Amino acid sequence: MIFPAEDPRLNAPRPTALVAAAASACEANIWTSVNGWSAVRVFTDVNKEYEVAKKGVAIADLGPMARYAIRGGDAGAFLARATTAPASRLEVGESARGLMLDDRGRVIDLAEVSRLSGDLFLLTAPQPHARRLQLALRGFDAVIEDIGRQVAALGVFGPGANDALAAAGMKTPGDSVAASAMVRGVETAARPIQFSALPGVELVFPKEEALTVWERLTRRSGAEPIGLDAFEMLRLESGAPRPGVDFVAADRAQDDEAMTPAELGLAHLAPLDRGWFNGRRALRDAQAAMRRLVTLAIDDESAAAGAEITAGGKPIGRITSWAWSPAARRVAAFAQLSGTMKNGELAAARPLPASGRVSAKPVETAESALERAFLEAQGLAHGPATDFRR
Amino acid sequence: MATTDASEPEASEDRPGARIEGGIDAIVIGADADGLTAAAYLGKAGLKTILIDAAAVLGGPIRTRRLAGGVDGVDGEHLAFMLDPEAIADLELYRYGLNFAARRLDTVYFFDDGEMLRLDGDLQNAAALMEGDEDVKAALGEFFRDAMAAAVLMRPAFDAPRAGRAPARQLQKALSQAAASDVRRLARYATASVDDVLDDLFADGPVKTLLTCEAAFRSGAPPHEPYSFMGLIRRYAGEAAGLQGAQAYPEGGCVAVIDALRRAAQGAKVDIRAATYVDKLLIEGDRVAGVMLRGGGQLRAPIVVASLDARQVFLDMIGPGAIDIEFQHMLMRDRPAYASARLQATLKGVAKDEKTRENMMRRIVYAPSPAFLQTAFMDAREGRIPETLMLEVIFPGALDPQAALESEQLLSVFAHPLPFDAAVDDDRREAIRNAILVSLETILPDAQKRLGAVDLSLPSDLAAATGARPEAYAAEAGVMRQWALAGACASAGGIRGLYCCGPEARIGTGLSFAAGRAAAKTALRDFKRGE
Repeated sequence: MIFPAEDPRLNAPRPTALVAAAASACEANIWTSVNGWSAVRVFTDVNKEYEVAKKGVAIADLGPMARYAIRGGDAGAFLARATTAPASRLEVGESARGLMLDDRGRVIDLAEVSRLSGDLFLLTAPQPHARRLQLALRGFDAVIEDIGRQVAALGVFGPGANDALAAAGMKTPGDSVAASAMVRGVETAARPIQFSALPGVELVFPKEEALTVWERLTRRSGAEPIGLDAFEMLRLESGAPRPGVDFVAADRAQDDEAMTPAELGLAHLAPLDRGWFNGRRALRDAQAAMRRLVTLAIDDESAAAGAEITAGGKPIGRITSWAWSPAARRVAAFAQLSGTMKNGELAAARPLPASGRVSAKPVETAESALERAFLEAQGLAHGPATDFRR
Repeated sequence: MATTDASEPEASEDRPGARIEGGIDAIVIGADADGLTAAAYLGKAGLKTILIDAAAVLGGPIRTRRLAGGVDGVDGEHLAFMLDPEAIADLELYRYGLNFAARRLDTVYFFDDGEMLRLDGDLQNAAALMEGDEDVKAALGEFFRDAMAAAVLMRPAFDAPRAGRAPARQLQKALSQAAASDVRRLARYATASVDDVLDDLFADGPVKTLLTCEAAFRSGAPPHEPYSFMGLIRRYAGEAAGLQGAQAYPEGGCVAVIDALRRAAQGAKVDIRAATYVDKLLIEGDRVAGVMLRGGGQLRAPIVVASLDARQVFLDMIGPGAIDIEFQHMLMRDRPAYASARLQATLKGVAKDEKTRENMMRRIVYAPSPAFLQTAFMDAREGRIPETLMLEVIFPGALDPQAALESEQLLSVFAHPLPFDAAVDDDRREAIRNAILVSLETILPDAQKRLGAVDLSLPSDLAAATGARPEAYAAEAGVMRQWALAGACASAGGIRGLYCCGPEARIGTGLSFAAGRAAAKTALRDFKRGE
């Protein structure tokens, strides 16, 4: 569950179903917009929100994410085509992560697919793709509905997420299986999600119930809201790239901007030995990655997007996003590198405010560990995190 | 949804008579000119090749048919101007009966004001031999030299669009062969409209009118649209009877070219199976594995060449579940707007004077003024039948003594532009027929009185005869759009072992088999590489 790039210059973002509840809790009153929806950046204090997510129970308005209900006999086959998630093989209640690729095997977006019933699926993506999905739907016995305006979505994160839901009197999903029910004629779901290394649950329910659910969770379970800035810290620690920031969606990118799953460090989300999906044949014939998105730990208190990374005195890439990581006590940053950089080798990140040159090391994250395990299972050689010329 | 699972081969249906036939190297689907060419190439290379067509008669839209008047006519094309010299040589088509009854046809243009102009069939010398103002002749001679040189440069890209390569890159590659001093002019030819190029070179008059009509004839790109001039370059890149830019009439009509190709395929030991319908392509993993026939039988082969409408191949025979979304969109997004009509009729009586007899041995074109033409394209785009149509008229009996009739003459007309209709009712058909006959009066003032039976053939008729979609016989969009689609079709959606040479893989209009040659050669190259 990754928020895409913000669009803070949007003049009049639409209110999400939870905007009133979020506004009442937003002491800092720092807002932005995502996908045209209003979104809170900081509720009270970013460090406190981070700690709440790590140690307690945090709730977040996930309304800005794009959500589609797909129903029909071919719904699974359709999603298996439109995303790399193995949708047609999911059992009822199961979810799977995947990617949306273009026909050249380049990443358009991340995607999460849940099977709610035999012929009903829920697709969640950081960015809206209504037109693309409608194009992809031709020839399939399925209908797609953008339910973003009909539902509210609330993420409940942290080690106590399930306890909090139980305390609020809500149905909790199993470790890997979603729970679903019909409320006021709209499909509602509670499904397990992972954010960073944090276990969590995403609740999707009718927007009319938004305040009730929010109140129940905050009053009965003590859950506290977190904003996008805290999310950003958690995201960088987990190594999940952010669409529009760490990579340009392939359907909006210039030729040399778009990136393949391997270049994003997400090869495990587009396995070539599974079923067919859009862009698979291009991936099969793709040349070895010539650049790679890597998570770095930088020995400083801040960094800057666009700052240059060098190795052996030669520039090899730039930072795409960064945040202070309280867990590592360093800056965690994504950098797009187009040269080799071995573990432990020093590099310079400029222009950093503190000094001209500081150390930056590639680090393993939850996401990169998944990719490494996948590549090892596939029998593919895996060098250091930035040795992408494998 | 009719789709073939991409990863798991479907078992053959357990029907009586259903059987799996193996030991085949290559299957070619569609026995039109390109399909026959591809099959002949593959057979000649020693591959065990089966050629399948749903129709009982080979040749796709080009076939002999008993017309309404009881005489035999040839559907599809009536002149050859785009024949692939490489395939003719490789397949030794002259040895298999290809011959020309008339080569290097002169063209007589008729204009709105009643004036006429004759242009020699050899375009390199046409300006010098033309009657008229010396300055205009000089400008036309210069233009022909430039346009023919550009056509030579572009021809490889026209004949074999590169798989997956964007039109801009195809163009760039072609222009890279040009001398530096010519690149800017050629780049302009590639991107400009017909009107823009001709306005700079010629004053209003017959030369500008005839060139505008030649560029727009049978094209889906109106002359005022960007990139439309490329249509004329494509036309000049073709050749017939060994002469670039020329028009020729094969002995026996264009169906004789099909016959020669069929004999070449049979000579290469190709197993030809007519009236055999392919239901699905078998895709296993990312490879083609053969075809499933109607009735449940399977033919299994590592190479399948499809000389069919790409929509039929990818959307019906493979299914959207196994092709990329972008490719599917490309196949479905353009709804054709324009079409040509073919009219064949008998004309009572024979020509008595020598001048008329001479003109009947030429290609005759009615070239309305650019203003009329623009109105005609606008009308057609809106679905209306234009009042004025461009016409290309030949008299097969005058060009080929074998086709001559005793007391009447066969008249063959192509008319353009007409609105594209996937289905046509009787009233619409009658209106189209009348519009063509009105324009025909400009060339043959007494035609209506002398006309016998009139036979009209529209895209929907060709589709009904061949089992294809009517869209396959609509006027082709501009060259750049065709390039984009042809490049995508040439890569066959990334499915290994599948090669396409149907209408979408071809650039330009007319009887050509360059796409069949290109598909077969690519298949043979990959086969040798073990891919």
